[in-house]
Amino acid sequence: MLHDAKDINSSTTAIATEAAPDNKTRRYDRQLRLWAASGQSALESSRILVISGTATSTSILKNLVLPGIGHFTILDPAKVTPEDAGNNFFLEGSDSIGKFRAEEAVRLLLELNDGVDGNADLKGLDEIIDSERGKEWLSEFSLVIAHNLEQKVTEKLSHWLWQDSTRPPLVVVRSAGFLAEFYIQYHEHAVIESHPETAQSLQIDKPFPALLKYATSLDFENMDVTDHGHVPFVIILVRVLEEWKKAHVGNPPSSYEDKKEFKKEILAMRKKIDAENFEEAESQAYRAWTPSKVPSDIHALFSDPQVTNVTPTSAPFYHLVHALSRFVEEQPSKTLPLTSTLPDMKSSTDAYIQLQNMYKQRAEEEKEILKGYLKVPVDADMVDAFVKNSHALKLLRGKRYGQAEENKVAFAENLQTSPKAYAIHLALSALSSFASKQQQGAPLTPTEEVLTSEAQALLPPGADLPHEFADAVGEAIRTPTADLPNVAALLGGLVAQEVIKVITKQYIPINGYCVVDMIDMSTAVLG
Amino acid sequence: MIKIWSMKKNEDAAAKKKPKTSAAQIRVQKDLTELDLPSTMQTHFPDPNDLLNFTLTITPDEGMYKGGAFKFSFAINTNYPHDPPKVKCLQTIYHPNVDLEGNVCLNILREDWKPVLNLNSVMVGLQYLFLEPNADDPLNKEAAIEMSKNRDQFLSNVKSSMNGRNIKGVQYDKVSVS
Amino acid sequence: MATAELTTTQKPDWAGRYFHIDQVLNSGGPRTDPQFAAGDEVKKFLRETSKILVIGAGGLGCEILANLALTGFKDIHVIDMDTIDISNLNRQFLFRPKDVGHSKANVAAEFIMKRVPGVKVTPYFGKIQDKGEDYYMQFHLVICGLDSVEARRWINATLVNMVDESNPDSLKPMIDGGTEGFKGQARVIIPTVTSCYECSLDMLNKPTAFPICTIANTPRLPEHCIEWASVLEWPKVFADKKLDTDDPEHIGWLYKVAAARAAEFKIEGVTWSLTQGVVKNIIPAIASTNAIIAAACCNEAFKIATSSAAYLNNYFMLIGTESVYSYTFEHEKRADCPVCGGEAVDINLKSDTTVEQLIDILIEKQDIQIKKPSLSTSTKQIYFQAPPQLEQATRPNLEKKVSELVPDGGDITVTATTLPFNLSIRITYSS
Repeated sequence: MLHDAKDINSSTTAIATEAAPDNKTRRYDRQLRLWAASGQSALESSRILVISGTATSTSILKNLVLPGIGHFTILDPAKVTPEDAGNNFFLEGSDSIGKFRAEEAVRLLLELNDGVDGNADLKGLDEIIDSERGKEWLSEFSLVIAHNLEQKVTEKLSHWLWQDSTRPPLVVVRSAGFLAEFYIQYHEHAVIESHPETAQSLQIDKPFPALLKYATSLDFENMDVTDHGHVPFVIILVRVLEEWKKAHVGNPPSSYEDKKEFKKEILAMRKKIDAENFEEAESQAYRAWTPSKVPSDIHALFSDPQVTNVTPTSAPFYHLVHALSRFVEEQPSKTLPLTSTLPDMKSSTDAYIQLQNMYKQRAEEEKEILKGYLKVPVDADMVDAFVKNSHALKLLRGKRYGQAEENKVAFAENLQTSPKAYAIHLALSALSSFASKQQQGAPLTPTEEVLTSEAQALLPPGADLPHEFADAVGEAIRTPTADLPNVAALLGGLVAQEVIKVITKQYIPINGYCVVDMIDMSTAVLG
Repeated sequence: MIKIWSMKKNEDAAAKKKPKTSAAQIRVQKDLTELDLPSTMQTHFPDPNDLLNFTLTITPDEGMYKGGAFKFSFAINTNYPHDPPKVKCLQTIYHPNVDLEGNVCLNILREDWKPVLNLNSVMVGLQYLFLEPNADDPLNKEAAIEMSKNRDQFLSNVKSSMNGRNIKGVQYDKVSVS
Repeated sequence: MATAELTTTQKPDWAGRYFHIDQVLNSGGPRTDPQFAAGDEVKKFLRETSKILVIGAGGLGCEILANLALTGFKDIHVIDMDTIDISNLNRQFLFRPKDVGHSKANVAAEFIMKRVPGVKVTPYFGKIQDKGEDYYMQFHLVICGLDSVEARRWINATLVNMVDESNPDSLKPMIDGGTEGFKGQARVIIPTVTSCYECSLDMLNKPTAFPICTIANTPRLPEHCIEWASVLEWPKVFADKKLDTDDPEHIGWLYKVAAARAAEFKIEGVTWSLTQGVVKNIIPAIASTNAIIAAACCNEAFKIATSSAAYLNNYFMLIGTESVYSYTFEHEKRADCPVCGGEAVDINLKSDTTVEQLIDILIEKQDIQIKKPSLSTSTKQIYFQAPPQLEQATRPNLEKKVSELVPDGGDITVTATTLPFNLSIRITYSS
């Protein structure tokens, strides 16, 4: 551990106090700005298992050790070969040849971060997956990563992990030369803090009572020019909309002409021709006629069986969504809870702070209403985050590794609609099938014919192979066993990124395969 | 090594070696030589070989600041026009949009700067501040309050400040030319 | 300049060392140029001849150096003017806490040479602007892992300007990477052939700037209070002391002043971390994004150096916040790019042609349609149409001979209202 390390919660609260941050907070500063103390503490409690100590595996681990996972284990009985020593940065060149690969890699990876614990395990996966103790050991990890593992063992591992949704998610990584892919197997992944690019609605079309009262009570006419030029656009829009509705049997502007007229009315209120707050109101006028609605994917969550049938043992996420659905149902506005965060806008300090307080107070009240619908107690920070992100919640449901390919007809159809990415996936799958039939340790020298027939076996009889398949399979036979340093490094980044998203439950991970082509430098997500 | 040169021959035979003048330098040359300034604005280059540092003197011929000569420094860095020019008022003046340290409140000098703007736009913007001072978004709040609440007092303050008087404990620079 | 005096023990490569890499070098694939010289020739070029420059030894630079060394580049140079800070350690994996305060270039070079036998890394602890064309000319390729727009513009312009039609070796492919949080981009720039960095300047996000009058009078956000402290109060209180955003005492002062102002205006959210973030314009940075972008850059360098596969044409953009989204496209050259665009013409003059006569020649030239041209060389003004002071100062040049001001083969930059950007002319003289 770092000399003056504290637990991350107390060190990041130091940010909010007068004291300069300690060394640990300074070290992690650039990442705390992405996932905050909550994400960091999730990382620090995670335990990652990586099966095989290849160049790709150590590249992935490097990008997990640096940001500070709690623990990792490399499971690998192999000794370092001259080939390993040439492409793996976490081996010491020819000096490492003949030593245990897991031990060498763990030693060198641990140099990257004093706060991380690491372990080399020299058993084989076969041995572990076949024993009860081994299985118990496996289930204690937060997540398992496997690179270029023999196909039958991968299947055994993925099936066992899938059997029980409490077992760790699995990342399966495959690469050959310039082509690569990885898959994340999880049953469900719920994200509250998705870090959306879009902000929550200010609900100007359905102003809450205090806002409406304030906006309609302001005496614009007799205000002095300076104050008039500093009324926040939110107030202006609420006011103009209310007057508009009075004059139009309660309806907001709807036609193009209406909207033009509405904007004209905004500008007509100006006391000075260059009043920026009114210009802002004009440019934001769409907020007055765009109804604040529950986004359709959030609405769909409301009728999810896990939500409608919440039990005391359901995950807090489902309880929160259930409470949210009740909230929306019961609120006359049928909207999500109000945001407490205002964007910056042209305004005087006082008018802005006053408006901000109105929003904050109302948001607090609505949060309390939502809490009233909760059937179990939920952590206060989680409720806060949930309410803040209620427009951007994400629930991903995954499939077992290999499940998608069992539907050969669908696979063939996908191959026709997105030929390039599916061709790479198919070629890598054909290579794995081929390799699994070879004797262990024998050199792998597939031909185009053999891989094509392996590919055909994964598709319905007589299915056409697109010409992109020839491109992909050509690379597979050229480099059947190449773990190229640059490809390993790229996978190291991508896989670590997705693992961080899964562990922190922040941002949105892939659901399915991510396919990488490092010849034209492109990626695609399948599934 | 990939045969880039042969590819280049085919695609772009006419390309010529270009002079080693930086993009910022070329752009400043273009901006300066295309300046279209009224007689109320004059540039001065202390070192005519240095195009990146100069002053601008504004002598308004109308409005409440008529009779004054207001001097601004322009400092352009090598990241121009990605970065805006840095402009400061070199005198202590009494103006709602210029503070006593010489900071100028002009949107295109900060939040609204974009590379398609040029030195001419900045200079025209500066001159406009003397024709139409803006009391709503002030930098010198006292001057702004005076301007909107007590216009006569404000006008007289402008006059005496331009003559180098002291107003409420602040010594202003004499900028009047007559 | 500080060069690490490290001797690399030149042991021959052990058998099997390049087993993985050699699979792509021993034969081509379906998307490999048929001219690919598979086998010993390409290996020899990569491992014995090629010389590559890495600009930046930070987040991207550390990754780039490791990748290049493992792929078989053995003569690598690296430039960085920075020293190691504790906040680098969450991603710049060649550095340890004991290295804080030391040169990034030196420490990174030393580490790579220790870890990857037989690779020579030559560091330069200084600015890229310290080096001239003769320095950049020695490399086959340049990879940039920079965080500054200015430095990128400089090296881009330098490499574009170095292209000399009569010398094929003057064309240096430049591979540029950049990251910000979970987002990043990698691109291949073949100077004068593809679009260059300057061509895409308008794609850059503008750093947030707040109106100075808001900062002074109507603060609403914690950022407004912080800028008040740094932009307005600091210079007022410490007239002669420059704000050093790396000095914790300076940050501490700004934080205190900003927090007091925030309290006065009832604004919430001024923290030490936000203060530092605003005044240093901190961009979030993580190991994983840097690994992705650096790998993409190095892979392009490898493919260009070996021709073992087609290379990126020419821009890869990654957004990793929601799933893995990437977009690969050809960024187009801008005709009016001040660095790689614009016209270039040769003009042959009599040695006694005056500047005024040259201007007439330019005005009369039908194909360029120029009015009121202003002329300069890279070091001096020849004739400026405006402003009056410069017009007056350069007017005497009108009567001078061009040959007194511009050497044979020299260049003149011409700007004019009628030109979208600039014209460069190369002057030669006939006696």
